[in-house]
Amino acid sequence: MPSDVIHQQTRLRIMATLNALPDGELLEFTRLKDIIKATDGNLGAHLATLENAGLISVTKDFASKKPRTRVAMTRAGRKAFAEHVSYLRDILEGKG
Amino acid sequence: MPLSPQDAAAALHDIEQAEQRSVRLHGYRQGSPHLILWGVLWAVGYGLTDLWPAHAPTIWAIVVPTGIVGGFIILRAARSGAKRVDVWRYCAVATTLGAFFSATFYVMGPVSGRQVSAFIPLFVATVYALASVWLGWRYAIAGVALAILTLAGFALLGRHFPLWMAGVGGGALVLAGLWLRRI
Repeated sequence: MPSDVIHQQTRLRIMATLNALPDGELLEFTRLKDIIKATDGNLGAHLATLENAGLISVTKDFASKKPRTRVAMTRAGRKAFAEHVSYLRDILEGKG
Repeated sequence: MPLSPQDAAAALHDIEQAEQRSVRLHGYRQGSPHLILWGVLWAVGYGLTDLWPAHAPTIWAIVVPTGIVGGFIILRAARSGAKRVDVWRYCAVATTLGAFFSATFYVMGPVSGRQVSAFIPLFVATVYALASVWLGWRYAIAGVALAILTLAGFALLGRHFPLWMAGVGGGALVLAGLWLRRI
């Protein structure tokens, strides 16, 4: 079965973006927003959903005295994403 | 609800697009500070070489290790929170490049300082052009611009070719780094 948490279009793009980065690499919220082309509120809500599901981690700190939010994919997130992609491929190949 | 093959194909297309964009922007972001660092070092190194050509080996014996150490620091800072930087890989790349240039100049020698000053930027330009295959077309622009400027200076300028490389070569790298950073 597809992961309902991952399959929503914006969250799917977030997961694909983070999955393409090296393991443990943190991506700034503002850069993710540019890549996904989402608004602050929309992106924040989807990140909260993914974080609550344990698929990503959100780190908040300060850089040059400015608040900074960075996100990274967790190990569980990579596994869930890989399984979701595999599920999608199975459907295309007629196995799903 | 199960997905249709059309839904699955659309989702996989979305994933591929997002991953490609992520890899490209990540590559730009990672390369930007290195371009700026080497642009500044080239400006300093070539500028001093133009002023004191006899001391070029000493100047570059300081500039190049400074760049290698600086590049390592940038790499480590960029990967904070991620896996540690593989020191041995970084050292292996630096050593291989050093060995390549030494061997090349030995085989092609005797080479003048002017030839060395042109060859290394042309090699760097080639690396950027090749990197563009994986990291995005902007690296190709940076590589082609650097190669053209280097060849133009080499062909048209004599004694003050290092000054040209300081201003135009170093400047081109800094501008390319800033350009990648803005994306």
